[in-house]
Amino acid sequence: MPSLGLLLVLALASLLPASDAVQLANPDATRSDELRGVVAGLPPNALVLVGFDPDLGTYGEIRATVRAALDDLIAHGARLAFVSFTPEGRALAAAELDRMRRAGQGALIADLGFVAGSEAGLVRSVADVVPADAVGAVADSIRARGGAMGAFTLVLVVSGGDLSARSWIEQVRPRLPSISLVAIAPTFLEPELAPYLRSGQLHALLATLRDGVAYANAVPVDQSAVTRRPISALPMLAGMLLALTLMGGSALRRLARGAPRGAG
Amino acid sequence: MRRSITTTVTVVAGLVLIVDLLVVNPSLGAIATALQELLVLLAAAAAVGGAASLAAHHLRIVAQGTSDRLGSFVLLVGMGVILVAGLRPGSSGSSDPIVLWLVAAVLVPIAASLFALLFLFLLAAARRGLVTGGTEMILLLATSGVVVMLLLPLGGKAGEWLAAGAGWVETVPLAGVFRGLLIGVAIIASLTASRILLGIDRDDE
Repeated sequence: MPSLGLLLVLALASLLPASDAVQLANPDATRSDELRGVVAGLPPNALVLVGFDPDLGTYGEIRATVRAALDDLIAHGARLAFVSFTPEGRALAAAELDRMRRAGQGALIADLGFVAGSEAGLVRSVADVVPADAVGAVADSIRARGGAMGAFTLVLVVSGGDLSARSWIEQVRPRLPSISLVAIAPTFLEPELAPYLRSGQLHALLATLRDGVAYANAVPVDQSAVTRRPISALPMLAGMLLALTLMGGSALRRLARGAPRGAG
Repeated sequence: MRRSITTTVTVVAGLVLIVDLLVVNPSLGAIATALQELLVLLAAAAAVGGAASLAAHHLRIVAQGTSDRLGSFVLLVGMGVILVAGLRPGSSGSSDPIVLWLVAAVLVPIAASLFALLFLFLLAAARRGLVTGGTEMILLLATSGVVVMLLLPLGGKAGEWLAAGAGWVETVPLAGVFRGLLIGVAIIASLTASRILLGIDRDDE
């Protein structure tokens, strides 16, 4: 019954209009500006490799940011090639590719598919990333540049629990030092990836929801493409306040009853 | 010194891959590439073996009716549908439109719904932990409560203070503890790898 009430409150909050009193975007836009700067600095018709390996559990947290980044890249004239090294990443990439094709962006993307072997597959792909059956103008452009990862101007790593930007830095950068890497990751990877940003091995990193929302808000929405739904902060605030209230209530009940026997 | 076949294979493969990373040599590069190809094949074989084992287990449950027959049946049907879509004559495998549709329209929404329920389950577990848990549990939940408060999406000055506080927690205590853990794990992994590469077994100690 409390769960039903909670869902009802969340549903109601998602229907209410946005207010200035509620703001999800990080007021400090440094991280967002860094990624926007990298994308803005791409040459025309740049080839960008999207290493798409998020996991089903945390993709909800970064989905809006990833879609904003893909829109941003396409708006700056980039051509995108998707490759995955984890089965979950491949499943989610398939869904995103399907969405982009339906949005009329099919000519600007290439599906390089799934490469088995996780990190071993990643290492193998440094020298050859285009499968024999990949077709289309983008795949042909990559082949014309040698078909290796060196053909790309930029790599956007969409990270997850099984394979993150850390693997790319450890396995790909030593073999291809000139490669430019940027990453989008769920919050739990922030402590792991932030040092790579400071050392310059990552050129940009969005690894918290607030930075992601700041970035998504900064990227103009192209009305000709599928409209990106903005992340509504009100249901999130309602859920967090309810959670805090329920936890506070339980803590008070515990205090009133005293510590359980044998606890601690 | 007892050296098993496994240790010898590991030592040779590990040394070839490390030396290939340090020295530019086409012959060594070709051997390292072949080893990586083999690793990819082994991973694929392990995945196929895992899937076959899972299917056999659930076929046994369906045949014997020992536990959740319906769940096992649904799992087997799901596996069958994806396999038929990806392996039927004329299919382009994991890039086949039917496979992509099954994944985008069925698998991803189901997984997203299941993970969305995590909020409710976590909240229920936290409440139970607060009522019945020990000191460690209380400490864990109190800390998470503070972090949730810092992450409240508020606008204005209050929002800026909270965001600055959340940023400090991420970059100072959380990053410090996490980095310490990572460094510790890396040292242990290096030691274990060195022991394997040097062929040092437990018997040598």
